[in-house]
Amino acid sequence: MIESIVSYGLAVGAVYALIGITYNLMFSASRVFSFTSGMLGMLGGVLGSLFITKFGLPVVVGLVLVLVCGAAIGVITEIVTVRPVLKSLEQHLYVLSTLAFALMVQQLVAIEWGTDAQPFPRLIPIGPGWLDQQFWLPMLACAATIVGLEFLYRRTLIGRAFVAISEDSYAARALGLPEQGLRMASFALAGMVGMLAGFTGGEMLLAFFGNQPTLNFYGFVPVALGGMGSNRGAVIGGLALGLFQQAANFLVGGIFAAVAVFVVFIAILLIRPEGLAGAATTRRV
Amino acid sequence: MSTNLRVVTRRQVLAGSAVSAAALASGFPAPAIANSDPIKIGFLPALTGPSSSTGVGMNRGTELAVEEINAAGGVGGRKIELIVRDTQSDPTKAVNAVAELAQRQKAAVIWGPLNSGEALAATPLIAREKVPMIHPCWVDQLIDVKKYPMAFRNAPTNQQIGAAANHYVMDVLKLKKVAVVSDTTGYGTASVDAYVPMLTAKGAEVVFSGHIDAANPDLKPDMLRMRSAGAEVIMPWSVNAGFLARILNTRGAMGWDVPVVGQTTLGSGQTKALLEKPDYWDKVYSNNFRNVCFNKDGKLPARAQEFVERLRKSKLDMGDTLLWWIAVGYDAPRLMAETIKAAGSSPEQITGYWNQLKPWPGVYGDISFTPEQHNGFPDDQVIMCEVSSLRDGAFKLAPGYGA
Repeated sequence: MIESIVSYGLAVGAVYALIGITYNLMFSASRVFSFTSGMLGMLGGVLGSLFITKFGLPVVVGLVLVLVCGAAIGVITEIVTVRPVLKSLEQHLYVLSTLAFALMVQQLVAIEWGTDAQPFPRLIPIGPGWLDQQFWLPMLACAATIVGLEFLYRRTLIGRAFVAISEDSYAARALGLPEQGLRMASFALAGMVGMLAGFTGGEMLLAFFGNQPTLNFYGFVPVALGGMGSNRGAVIGGLALGLFQQAANFLVGGIFAAVAVFVVFIAILLIRPEGLAGAATTRRV
Repeated sequence: MSTNLRVVTRRQVLAGSAVSAAALASGFPAPAIANSDPIKIGFLPALTGPSSSTGVGMNRGTELAVEEINAAGGVGGRKIELIVRDTQSDPTKAVNAVAELAQRQKAAVIWGPLNSGEALAATPLIAREKVPMIHPCWVDQLIDVKKYPMAFRNAPTNQQIGAAANHYVMDVLKLKKVAVVSDTTGYGTASVDAYVPMLTAKGAEVVFSGHIDAANPDLKPDMLRMRSAGAEVIMPWSVNAGFLARILNTRGAMGWDVPVVGQTTLGSGQTKALLEKPDYWDKVYSNNFRNVCFNKDGKLPARAQEFVERLRKSKLDMGDTLLWWIAVGYDAPRLMAETIKAAGSSPEQITGYWNQLKPWPGVYGDISFTPEQHNGFPDDQVIMCEVSSLRDGAFKLAPGYGA
């Protein structure tokens, strides 16, 4: 039981963490809470299955194509749903435009791909058991993403520009940083991370259009728990959520596991509204 | 289907009214010119959307039947016009389509909706419009001779489906300790709530019953709970292929040699595609129907065999659907055509004929109705089949039927 809670809980937690990071990447660059994150996760599974199973492409080519599609969809999201609204609105209503876009894409997938879950290919033939790729592949992707992002933010000029934009977009613009270009790049990066979550978790979650709302909700929980904008918080929150959810599956089972997850989630937010890892922000007036 | 809009002049209306008035006054039937009009059958399949696989399969049979009837000269010289409205698996769209079919198209009879969710929304409206209907949906409440006197069912009820599975578990497999599970949909929860008391009344010990969130990708905790409760058989009730495949995959990964007996989707191609190993489909028995199953020698009953040959001649694809879906879709318009030929096309004539229908030999089943019983499918034709035997959309009878 413990083995199953740990292996499965960490694996599904890593997928939630990656979706949480997707939320954060878009939020940091634009202050937009984009509900396209779950859509990207869903598309990672569907497109991966399409390229590898249906088209018969090699796994590496399939992965590269999925990431390219993720970047393209990220850019489209920014151009179509965020940029026009940011120009005219200061309020957070633009969340709705991202949600509308995500629902449109989901319906398109339902029509073109079908509404039944379809198989995702086994990428590396190891297992079954806890060595099965469906368990360690999402964890590997999560670790690689975190290391990659840390490297990007700390060691590269463009990464520092990302950080500058997320800290204070007005000051960054005043210094001559191309805010719009950086925002597009952030959305492209978020698209790739979201797709990677769905791709590496594909064998577990299957290629299914209905994964979108699940990933949207469960990917949001680590962001709320870990604090908005904090990638480390999202990873810790995601893994904790996965472990807790799986433990609840064993202990209470059935539909009550989901209830247990949300009871704890609400309780934590009531006690610490800024999230477990987030710091309460002060605003100068 | 397109509808031509004609401009009607005031003079034509007056002339028509005069003819009608004369006909009424003289007591003669309506002018013979009306008899060359096509007979309109309103058809409400879900051809797209989450519950469309059934509709797509049945649609193939229905279109074939209408083509055959029209090629043979129609019904008393009148062609059948099938007015198809895709409900898109959406009850609201089904309701809108009913209003159009009844009021604008003046359909003589309605075939469908083909999914229970849509039928639950559409049936009261069809009853209010006083259009005779046949549907193949299983939800028990859809047939009520008092509330919906013109609604008839040419398929089994949920009670018959559950009773057949329970009979197989208890009387054929001789198993007593049962785990009954479903997803959290309306269909799933209603099925568990209905079948658990039926099992208990038959003397079974239901050691586990519950609803599982189908979005949860790992079913091992629930399956372990079933095993430790001593379950000798699992009965899942869901139309979600992903959920059912996860049950079978988890059973295989646990090395648990327990039979799985339940819903027809257990034997669908979508479920098969999601299995990690082909042999995870062994010892899985799903509902099916005697007239469209292979016997132990691998032969279909004569009526179904002749039908399959006709399907092959028409180059109708059977590989991606189920034979019983095509068969039930084929039977309905044939029964409607036969009824209109024998009794006439008014709602009262059609309903009156159906109310006296003696076993009508369909490909899918022998249908009979009485004024008190509009559920037309016979109990003994609901059986279980061996899902791993799927070939050309049909299955072999499960072991123990002795056929």
